[in-house]
Amino acid sequence: MASSAYPAGTVRALLATDLVTEATRTALQARLDAPDYEPQFFDAATYELLRMVAARLFPQPDRDSPIELAPAIDQRLLTGGSDGWRYDVLPPDREAYRLGLGGIRESARVIFGAPFEELTGLQQDAVLQAVQNETAPGPLWDTLSANRFFEELLAELTENYYAHPLAQEEIGYVGMADVPGWSKITLNQKEDREPAVNE
Amino acid sequence: MPDEETLEEGILNPVKPEIQDPLLQSLLADAPMVERPIVPEPAPLEIPLPAETVDCIVIGTGAGGAPLLARLAMAGLKVVALEAGPWHDPKKDFATDEKAQEFLFWNDERLSAGHDPVAFGKNNSGTGVGGSTLHYTAYTPRPQPEDLHLHRDFGVGQDWPFGYEELEPYFEELEQFLGISGPTPYPWGPARRKGYPLAPLPLNGAAQLMQRGCEALGIRTSPAANAALSARYYQEGVGWREACTNRGFCQAGCSTGAKASMDVTFLPLAAAYGADIRPGCYVTEIERDDTGKITGVIYQQNGVEQRLRCRHLFLCAGAVETPRLLLLNELALSSGHVGRNFMAHPGVQVFGTFAEEVRPFKGIPGSLISQDTFRPKDADFAGGYLLQSIGIMPVTFAGQVARGRKLWGEPLRQYMQQYNHIAGINILGDCLPHADNFLELAEEKDARGLPKPRLHFTNHENEIRMNAHAEKLMRQIWEAAGATDIWAFPRSAHVIGTARMGLSGDDAVVDANGKAFDVPNLYICDNSVFPSALSVNPALTIMALALRTADKFLENQK
Repeated sequence: MASSAYPAGTVRALLATDLVTEATRTALQARLDAPDYEPQFFDAATYELLRMVAARLFPQPDRDSPIELAPAIDQRLLTGGSDGWRYDVLPPDREAYRLGLGGIRESARVIFGAPFEELTGLQQDAVLQAVQNETAPGPLWDTLSANRFFEELLAELTENYYAHPLAQEEIGYVGMADVPGWSKITLNQKEDREPAVNE
Repeated sequence: MPDEETLEEGILNPVKPEIQDPLLQSLLADAPMVERPIVPEPAPLEIPLPAETVDCIVIGTGAGGAPLLARLAMAGLKVVALEAGPWHDPKKDFATDEKAQEFLFWNDERLSAGHDPVAFGKNNSGTGVGGSTLHYTAYTPRPQPEDLHLHRDFGVGQDWPFGYEELEPYFEELEQFLGISGPTPYPWGPARRKGYPLAPLPLNGAAQLMQRGCEALGIRTSPAANAALSARYYQEGVGWREACTNRGFCQAGCSTGAKASMDVTFLPLAAAYGADIRPGCYVTEIERDDTGKITGVIYQQNGVEQRLRCRHLFLCAGAVETPRLLLLNELALSSGHVGRNFMAHPGVQVFGTFAEEVRPFKGIPGSLISQDTFRPKDADFAGGYLLQSIGIMPVTFAGQVARGRKLWGEPLRQYMQQYNHIAGINILGDCLPHADNFLELAEEKDARGLPKPRLHFTNHENEIRMNAHAEKLMRQIWEAAGATDIWAFPRSAHVIGTARMGLSGDDAVVDANGKAFDVPNLYICDNSVFPSALSVNPALTIMALALRTADKFLENQK
């Protein structure tokens, strides 16, 4: 399992300093302090399914409480936000999510004869892999491009994950602490404020 | 598309947003609406006729609109710029955070069709005072003279209606005005009268690695030309701008003012000469009189419709919104070329993992360049491309890994843990126009009730061969530099074409001066008028065209 490149607390400590601008601090601190979230767009069962799918695409057994990736999707769909484009083969995002999550549900039943929620982690992975490979069974996939839906879902979850300060700490990223600028920018150089990497 | 009746009135009826979302439709259908008394619709408020008519309206404040606006204002004309997005304060508003900076992109949904659908949003389009320059990489290479004559040299594509010598003085002017940092002499292309005003920005880790790989293969490299200051610079109409601090966040907005986006360069200059820049103004309609002459525009500002009258209109909204506005208003359509010739730069990226620490978020993302691939000897395609090292911000990169490598679960997290050891190279190459690459209005409506644009894009033989040639070469460069786990992310970058300029109204929308062939007082000035895609980043050429278009217009007004 991935272990954090930077020591725990690195980003939190940096956020408390004037190495970080107010705008940057506001954005990152809000993610660190995110309160418990109640779905407003998805119904409870579908939201839980989305959370379980997210847990397979971003397994986080190393964290006491995982970085929650579903709230931002629920919020975006609720407010109708867009990233500026969508594959023409996909229906509007709300419909794509409804069909896609329904498809995952259906495929789990066809392949394993049980709800996705009751499958083992490996079985859930097999369902998701089939969706990505466009081999997932179930009539819903006749109306939705499985691999394009999977790509969109994965990209959105991925961007939500790596936007989180703890995920940035995990990959050794401290670009947020840029108020003094960076002068040591060549190979193998680091500033004093960049911590040593956990090896 | 407006119907006959509304066209005759010259005004689009205010359209109620239609619910596109089938889920919402079904929810509304399932839940019986509470019976509401039928209230007669209030008569639409008459949009007041403004008392004055301005000389010029400029729609869009990016690389096309801003330099032009400044030029017209400096000539003493009364000019108004209408910008769909807000006016930001970079020092206060621009976080070093990719998600928080999403407001810089044109996030109204575009539908991407064809075999190789083009990504929009953060990939290539911007909003806000300054347009896409708010988040361009500030890479400002000049095109080569031969770039403008692809048809002459290869028998494919389209030549520009004028030669390089027409743009050259503007390149020089822009480089000096914006304070471009770059190598002198520049290793490729014709000798220059003046060098870059500032020394190149320092090379970062990715640039050093690319240099190492290219050296081993005998490929010449050079620090790139960037519109970001390597030293403090005094700029007319603006004052002192501070040097770049190597934040590496050019594509998410420069918070220090070192990057020459239009909001810290041409727009303050324009404002100093009396230009009226209005943020938050979304143009929906272009009005004409009986003779077909444009009389003004209607725009929405904070939800209120406004009308502004003008003598001349300059459409500078980019290669998607410009043709969209033309199609919505059935304007300049006689050539049949509005929306056609849509081109997107081949932009394949190749990443590798290195033993060295790269920390790819530091320094100007586009740090090192090679134009040795401008006309490769072993090419099996027309045209050429450039190579550039790329720095990467974590969220954007992670999204590309998910889409491009299709990794998820533990393998994705493991791969991303090497973030500090990853470096990339990418290309920007010429693209040929094809009949099946075009923009059209979709049936689906946006929140304003206007049809969404749908863009069809498919790489054809020439683009496929160019990308393959480039990918092979970049893999060799990374191998020579000592990379492991090399992989390619196929992508298309800048969007170009859709309202091209040419010598005749039979196959072009505007003439060599940017003037529409079939509307007496309409000018177009942005990447939509490019007859061919060029083998370089478009920003500098768009700005040069803007200055040239303004000068030609002013000459003709005398």
